[in-house]
Amino acid sequence: MKKIIYIFCFAFLLYFFVYPLSHVLSQSFLVNGKISLEIFRNALGNYVVRRSIINSFLLGILVVISTTVTGVPLAFLFARYRFPFKNILRSLFFLPLIASPFVGAIGMMQILSRFGSINLFLMKIGLIHHPISWIGSGFLGIFILETLHLYPIMFLNISSALNNFDISTEEASYNLGGSFARTFRKITFPLLMPGYFAAASIIFIWALTDLGTPIVFEFRELISVQIFNSIKDINTNPQGYSLVFLVILITLLLFILAKRLIEKRPYVSGRTAVNVIEKELRGKSLGFAYAATGLLLLLSLLPHLSIILSSVSKKWFFTVFPSGYTWEFYQTVFGHRLTRTGIFNSILLSSASTLIDVVLGFTIGFFLARTKMKGRQLLDLLVMLPLAIPGIVVAFGYFSLFSNTPLDPRNNPLILLVISYSIRRLPYLVRSTYSSFQQLSESLEEASYSVGATLMTTFRRITFPLVSPGLFAGGVLAFSFSVMEVSSSLILAVRERHYPIAKVIYTLAGRITDGPYVACALGVLGMFLVGASYYISSRLVSRKIGEFFRIG
Amino acid sequence: MGILTVKSVSKSFGKAKVLKDVNISVEEDEIFFILGPSGCGKTTLLRIITGFIAPDRGKVFLGDKDITYLSPAARNIGMVFQNYALWPHMTVWQNVTYGLEVKKTPEDIIEKKTEKVLEITKLGSFKDKFPPHLSGGQQQRVALARAIIAEPKVLLLDEPLSNLDAKLREEMRSEIRRIQKETGITMIYVTHDQKEAMSLGDRITVMDEGLVIQTGSPMHLYSEPGSKFVASFLGDINILEGRVVSTGDFTEVETSEGKLKVLRKQDFAAGDFVEVAFRPENAVLSSGANNISCRVNDVEYYGETFKANCITRAANKIELKSFTGNMKQLESGADIQFSVAPENFILFGKK
Repeated sequence: MKKIIYIFCFAFLLYFFVYPLSHVLSQSFLVNGKISLEIFRNALGNYVVRRSIINSFLLGILVVISTTVTGVPLAFLFARYRFPFKNILRSLFFLPLIASPFVGAIGMMQILSRFGSINLFLMKIGLIHHPISWIGSGFLGIFILETLHLYPIMFLNISSALNNFDISTEEASYNLGGSFARTFRKITFPLLMPGYFAAASIIFIWALTDLGTPIVFEFRELISVQIFNSIKDINTNPQGYSLVFLVILITLLLFILAKRLIEKRPYVSGRTAVNVIEKELRGKSLGFAYAATGLLLLLSLLPHLSIILSSVSKKWFFTVFPSGYTWEFYQTVFGHRLTRTGIFNSILLSSASTLIDVVLGFTIGFFLARTKMKGRQLLDLLVMLPLAIPGIVVAFGYFSLFSNTPLDPRNNPLILLVISYSIRRLPYLVRSTYSSFQQLSESLEEASYSVGATLMTTFRRITFPLVSPGLFAGGVLAFSFSVMEVSSSLILAVRERHYPIAKVIYTLAGRITDGPYVACALGVLGMFLVGASYYISSRLVSRKIGEFFRIG
Repeated sequence: MGILTVKSVSKSFGKAKVLKDVNISVEEDEIFFILGPSGCGKTTLLRIITGFIAPDRGKVFLGDKDITYLSPAARNIGMVFQNYALWPHMTVWQNVTYGLEVKKTPEDIIEKKTEKVLEITKLGSFKDKFPPHLSGGQQQRVALARAIIAEPKVLLLDEPLSNLDAKLREEMRSEIRRIQKETGITMIYVTHDQKEAMSLGDRITVMDEGLVIQTGSPMHLYSEPGSKFVASFLGDINILEGRVVSTGDFTEVETSEGKLKVLRKQDFAAGDFVEVAFRPENAVLSSGANNISCRVNDVEYYGETFKANCITRAANKIELKSFTGNMKQLESGADIQFSVAPENFILFGKK
């Protein structure tokens, strides 16, 4: 029985994850049954594709730089200094994560457009006389939104690295006469390197493969948009394959590099970290810290504010703030056929995928932590890989692999949507059950056996109650992530009656009349759902929200 | 046959032979110690007795019943885990009653037994608390209470005091002794701390590298160790190399410190190469039989006792130990002479 379940877990991952990926790989090399580089040559020969690759890389690098410049100092400020309202401020910095930049972008269009709030405001106070084109071609807008969305990931990863940082290594350097700059360069930064690299590669790949934001800004010359567009004529134009191949290649490269980097040298002293004595911030430096964090916070909450404002604004043309307020868009959300279908679909799909995640996550977590089955390491690798492989790649793989089969997304994408949602969130569930099992010392179970309890009693009364908070927390998160999942929803849902929320928002945003406002209302609801689920799950496992975003 | 017998048990993990033909026999009502350095196989032996792993060869008997392959739940052998393994989501009361509940004991009997066990372990006022809110010593008591309430035939304790600080450890040591006397439960106690074993044990078995080296009462093992390993594991010891020159009531051994007269306990023949050993506290600062001269290198002062590290003219290193009151404080650099009574020598054969 145990073996059958174990083999099923493998089969599931192989069929719905490895097989689609290998299909994409093989398709990008096979032309009429022969191995050839023709597809690549054709793709790279295309001017737009070349521009897209360059733009995507540029975007990725710029976002890494901007998130570093904001996230790293922020992490140091919170790890090393003490100041009033620190904890409240810290939790506010999680807020950027709850709105997907895709939704935020719709609201930001309102603020950043030619006659949007910012320009109007600046003209009103007389700073400028002609409106500035903030969005420009769209690239700048994408860059800003992704930075504002992603810097908390850098902040969280560096913070956690700093929490485990043995401050005495720094003190030893100072003690030997090292300057601040030298100590940072030679000691602090190298020791933070694994955490930094992990965060930087997540951010890089995120920026490289984000589909929602560029689509809202109608910026086409990016790898992700090219992949999305190539799906329409996938049978005649194999260009998409080579771009997906490129993304997989980069992802795996970063993945391997990160592993190598961490394994090459011992970064952990193996000793308990000495607690930092936080320095008190006072006077000017306190003022500066407040000003800097306040400004950053204001900027990163702009997308949130803008969609909330848009969702309740009656009229918002040529004014800094809306000129009237209304609830009608929320009524439309629950009254309109398209939005109602979207909400219904998303809840159905996300519930199904969460169920799969909880069951599979618990089972695989159990196999990894509590058994010595052969091939566990492989299962571990397989189940964690979806964390690195972008959603757009998985969705593209499904689309091309299952075309003209009973699972063809053009007929009914619901099953593929459920599975793509669950594959993408499975790593979180496996991780959280695995770590629950790890924290649950086996002797707790042995103690139960030793007083005469059976396997079932032990499982019911000891193991399950102790593991379940992690499991439910993961489930709640997986549900809300799935509801707001963008790339696979955009790619796989083809017909209107199969649209999940994300695709409904995308469709609405493109309509001229009240579409964007309804989209914002839907986005606000989604934002609250995600926010609430973070809160619930962090309460369930009494962990800090940030730990869900930590890698490594 | 004792209440628990381990017969010719061997166990390997991969290539590593962890237990090699181990035999022990535990008597009813005693505290039996399994003592050895880490990695000697004592934890594996314990897990074989509890049934969490099965031996490759050999058998385990409880009384005269073969329990080698019985499930842990069916053995009626209690266990106190090194990390206590208290269930954090249950109160002290729920932790303790669990063992009775799974055996479907009637409610009123559970109530009565638990009250009594909590009284013995002095936990009455903590019964509604959750384990993470208790101190180390209190957690230790809960672990004990949970194990003894099921009235196991044998109670195993796996380094139960290793997570406590020195002061608390001494306190809990006498607590365990008291609880053992009050309940009459047979205990098998695994540790690497020879002080715990010496002060608490009725009998000790010393293990090393998967082998049982020697079994006996603490006093027997200390004063008549069968090997250099046992001798040095139980306390400090000085060793001189030598050769037997004559035998009789006393064995005379020629060493680099001259001829030493040793009370005969084992048979050696003239010409045998041997090692002559004595405990540092058995050296007396006066001349008598078996005089040895040396120079004091340095003195370590412990308050009630002190230890002098000395070196003889033949370059043998010698440690001397005494109560501060009994021997006047030695000073570094002093030349001294000490003697050891013939009955205080231990001889080890040399191959």
